Amino acid sequence: MSKIFLTLLLACCSLTAAAGDTDKVKSTDNNLLKAALRGWQVRLGAGFNLGGTSPLPLPAEIRKIESYQPGLCFMLQGAAHKRIGTDRKWGVMFGLRFESKGMKTDATVKNYHMEAVNDDGSGTVRGAWTGKVKTEVSSTYLTMPILATYDISKRWMVKAGPYFSYMVHGTFKGSAYDGYIRDIDPTGPKTEVQSASYDFSDDLRRFQWGVQAGGEFKAYEHLSVSLDLSWGLNGIFPRDFGSVTFALYPIYGTLGFHYLF
Amino acid sequence: MKHLFTLLMVVAGLSTLTSCIKDEPLNAECDITGVDPQWLADHADLLIGNPRVENNRVAFTIVTGSDRTQLDPRFQLTPGATVTMTADGRTVDANGAVRDFSSPQTYTVHSEDGHWQKDYEVSFSPRKPIGRLSFGNYALDADKGRYYEWYETDLDDAEAKHYYWATGNAGYAITGMGGTPDTYPSAPAAGGVDCEGSDRDQRCVRLETRDTGSFGSGLKMPLAAGNIFIGEFRSAQAAVFPRKATRFGLQLVTEEPVRLEGYYKYTPGETFIDKYKTVHPELRDMADIYAVVYEAFAEGSTEFKPLDGDEVLSSDRIVLMARIADPGEPTEWTFFSEPFVLQKGKTFSEETLRANGYAIAIVCTSSRDGAYFNGAIGSVLYVDELQVVWKGDE
Repeated sequence: MSKIFLTLLLACCSLTAAAGDTDKVKSTDNNLLKAALRGWQVRLGAGFNLGGTSPLPLPAEIRKIESYQPGLCFMLQGAAHKRIGTDRKWGVMFGLRFESKGMKTDATVKNYHMEAVNDDGSGTVRGAWTGKVKTEVSSTYLTMPILATYDISKRWMVKAGPYFSYMVHGTFKGSAYDGYIRDIDPTGPKTEVQSASYDFSDDLRRFQWGVQAGGEFKAYEHLSVSLDLSWGLNGIFPRDFGSVTFALYPIYGTLGFHYLF
Repeated sequence: MKHLFTLLMVVAGLSTLTSCIKDEPLNAECDITGVDPQWLADHADLLIGNPRVENNRVAFTIVTGSDRTQLDPRFQLTPGATVTMTADGRTVDANGAVRDFSSPQTYTVHSEDGHWQKDYEVSFSPRKPIGRLSFGNYALDADKGRYYEWYETDLDDAEAKHYYWATGNAGYAITGMGGTPDTYPSAPAAGGVDCEGSDRDQRCVRLETRDTGSFGSGLKMPLAAGNIFIGEFRSAQAAVFPRKATRFGLQLVTEEPVRLEGYYKYTPGETFIDKYKTVHPELRDMADIYAVVYEAFAEGSTEFKPLDGDEVLSSDRIVLMARIADPGEPTEWTFFSEPFVLQKGKTFSEETLRANGYAIAIVCTSSRDGAYFNGAIGSVLYVDELQVVWKGDE
């Protein structure tokens, strides 16, 4: 992860250096750069994500969300944007984004069916859990958004499109506490459990995709601020994963600041 | 500004989520949680001890000779659940219905949401004094059929199955480590002590200390000792208060006991561990076979209070104890005979005996300190042909 970060940082530095020292050289270099890019505008941005990984709709087994804590999630993005068409209002944008998404929640559940395989694979604990569940999700992704853009006005732009993510590293763990489990199904023998921890990090899906939509405000010639919503369309766990019975979708809002070259 | 944004998003997120919470679903559970205390009070003369309510069985012990043909027990159920029975081919409401308990009767509890139901076998049995205990009577648990349970039969009452015996098998089932019924800590085995009797009597009980897997280790209970004892195992408490889950003893004392006898053989496991799974090479596992007779009622009470795992060997209510001091590691069937020793400052009173004031617990375990999760995985104890020699038998 640090290697990618460093590479991006170096790219950023070299590009800014390429912008030149003196004004005259700067403008000539800029024109040359723009000519070379053939209308593609390169931008580099950073920002942060805020949101959560949630089932939709919330299943009836979830009785109460005791607490929700968004994680500190950063994103670093490089993108190329080109306006197309005669009126130059529409455009396409291809990006490469390195981001993290995460959150912590505490919920009260009732009769929630769960299955957890023992660490050494020797057996499976399964049953209906009633009690509290703490969950901590945290993942870092390499995301490629492919967006269509439209300029509403000189300063405002909207964009939308799909995105494709590859999970570089992911954590999904937590504990079930202060409740009881009914073995196999709700008619099974009841056993109270004070706290039992789980870690499904190894079962997370590597490839995620979804849709992204948002707006952007061009504050200055070279700086814009954007607000996007990324909505995951495939669950973070494979469909046959028995330990979590409903699909969880990452839904995050992103606030970004972009430098437009 | 960042903080304001965060705050806005959190508020928006939370309010959206809370409004998304669906209505409380109807209850899916369908349990008999207890017996109506008023009914118990009204029938105090009929009953001995407390009814034993398990996941699909309710067992009442009644005074010998009492009439059980017209009884109308009332039960407490999971909120919203209903209980029915089949009468003349029709399903009717059963709570408080008069039934003939000459043989055990079935009650079906239905969950509030209608998706689940569970059958309970309710029995009223006069207590059967314990004689020769061959461990020949066992069946798969009525619930999910994953492990064995032992019961005693009655010559006078053909249909009666007295589930006097309890094991920790229900607790082991939760860990997800149980495979076939023979892999549970307590299982029947062939090769019992040779004696005249049915083929079933050739069976003995095999108790092995088993690994509880990551679920058990996470709870600091890395092993489950194989055990069998007279009393009740309340699996509800097994993962939070394990020693409260084992309730030792039943009021089956009709005479003064003199000796505890039987056969056993034992091989300890290789590695002795404690609840943190730390290996102790200097320690060796040991079996334990003992019986205690104790005062059934606590001071000033008339309600039977069984001894739990913390006090079964140390309570001041214990009157008599028979225990093999050092069982050793015999690989062949070995006979033992231990006298019931009167505890310091205690007397065995005829008056208390007549008032059903004594309870007896016979306990066998493959790891002597298994209740505190110290022992060796793989220790195996075989027990067969246990017998309590009463004063009148001598």
